[in-house]
Amino acid sequence: MGFLVWLEATGLAEWVRSSNEGYPSMIGLHAIGMAIMVGLSLVIDMRLVGLFRAIPVHAMNRLFGVAWIGFGINFVSGSALFTTQATSYVVDVIFMSKMTLVFIGAITAAILQPAVARAGSWPSGRTPGGTKAIAGLAIVVWIVAIILGRLTAYL
Amino acid sequence: MDALQEWMQSTPINSLILNFAWSWPTLESLHFLALCTLMGSLLVMDLRLIGFNNLIPLKAVHSLMPVALISFAINLITGLGFLFGEPYLYFPNWAFWAKMILILLAGLNFLVYYTKIEPMLVKLGPNDPAPFAAVFVGMLSLVFWFGVLSFGRLLPYLGTGGG
Repeated sequence: MGFLVWLEATGLAEWVRSSNEGYPSMIGLHAIGMAIMVGLSLVIDMRLVGLFRAIPVHAMNRLFGVAWIGFGINFVSGSALFTTQATSYVVDVIFMSKMTLVFIGAITAAILQPAVARAGSWPSGRTPGGTKAIAGLAIVVWIVAIILGRLTAYL
Repeated sequence: MDALQEWMQSTPINSLILNFAWSWPTLESLHFLALCTLMGSLLVMDLRLIGFNNLIPLKAVHSLMPVALISFAINLITGLGFLFGEPYLYFPNWAFWAKMILILLAGLNFLVYYTKIEPMLVKLGPNDPAPFAAVFVGMLSLVFWFGVLSFGRLLPYLGTGGG
């Protein structure tokens, strides 16, 4: 807890909490990063579970690079927002559940990215069962993460 | 404008949204989920137009159009829910009107795409780069929609309507 108390007292936390531009700029960036990371992940995952079959799976490989930029934006903006109420966030079940799901979501993307890169060699062009299952899981994980993230504002 | 606000507050939609504690967070969650799928599908389509990802066949990228349209419809409906619920938060807020103007511009840009750009694209090979007009329309689309997202998220902080 000592570290979290220190975090809340840093200049960064003070700037995000109290300045005119701190909180709005971080929350704005967090929405942009979310749209990029979760939006692209959901489209890629939907393709992997069998929608939009006209799009060749391997052609989506470059989209991961863009998605990770969104993730980076949210890692930075989310960390800045976290400092403002670090001690309350870590004991908040909804917030910690959201963070767990975001972590799982990022892992699914890290697993699916090399799979998508190799998609050209899939026999008959069909998504292998394991890859499909991870993509299906990822869709559920991202949807619940977004809902829990939104509900964090009510606590 | 005042009459419109009063009428909105007199509708059953208003009572439905204000009388249940879960209405507002439910609408917000749907609004956020659909904004993700809207922006995700737009990014794939617009980045293809811009030339970032010419591996995706031009025609194939079109299969994402229903995702964008359904997502926009969800956000139009949930957004109207917010407006009917607390109109006095939005009407005096300049950031809300900036967002509405950007949605209108994005809509006009889509019409240009639909009537002028798409007919140009059907003559191209699947992995050909899109012509400059298409690149321009794709860039404008991303600028407008990220503007919509930003003003939407920031309207409680930018505007004068409070909340």
